[in-house]
Amino acid sequence: MNSKELLEYQPNRPPFLMIDYVTKVLPGKFAEGYKKLIKTEWYFPIHFPGNPNMPGALQLEALAQMLTVAITTLPGNRGKVTHAISHKVKFKKEVKPGRKFIIKTKVNFWNRGICRGIGIGFTDGDIACEAEMTITIPDILDKFLPKK
Amino acid sequence: MNNLEKYSKVFTKTFSIDKSMLKKLKYQSIPEWDSVGHMSMISALEDTFKITIEMDDIIDFSSFEFGKKILKKYKVIIK
Repeated sequence: MNSKELLEYQPNRPPFLMIDYVTKVLPGKFAEGYKKLIKTEWYFPIHFPGNPNMPGALQLEALAQMLTVAITTLPGNRGKVTHAISHKVKFKKEVKPGRKFIIKTKVNFWNRGICRGIGIGFTDGDIACEAEMTITIPDILDKFLPKK
Repeated sequence: MNNLEKYSKVFTKTFSIDKSMLKKLKYQSIPEWDSVGHMSMISALEDTFKITIEMDDIIDFSSFEFGKKILKKYKVIIK
């Protein structure tokens, strides 16, 4: 999935779109891809001056955005907005400018609008971060809720 | 464990509450019973009683007490 096709399945837009390419996807099961970290990313000058690296919050965002692709590629979900519910993350290695941030995500549970999955980010062959994530498609989830 | 104990345990565990709160417990009466909490509770009931709850019943499942009536439909008697 190239960067243009990606926009049909991932509602975020630059400069907050944290993935460039989806290299593999099996709808409802997994999605993998990467972001090329160019030296002029908006956050490098400020995070931090003299020691630029990709903020942890944005690494996590990249994992969540990739997991989103794994479920928005399911039939009927294209273009649907997703919301984060809860994430648990560990950061292990800094991600520097000029590197490729490789992202692998897997869906463990998808039912009634709720997705639980895991994501791992890699840099230079090492694990940069890993997360357990819960996201939802409110459009679907809301149909199952008691009416007020 | 009888069905009432199993049923109660789903709520106390899912929402991390004391069983003294169950009788008056309703959807959105506590922060933990929000949209995601609702679906977690439904999944836990399905796992506990080996049933699949239909969409209309998931929508109607608005309180601890009313849920007992819903489960009767699935031949799960809570008492």
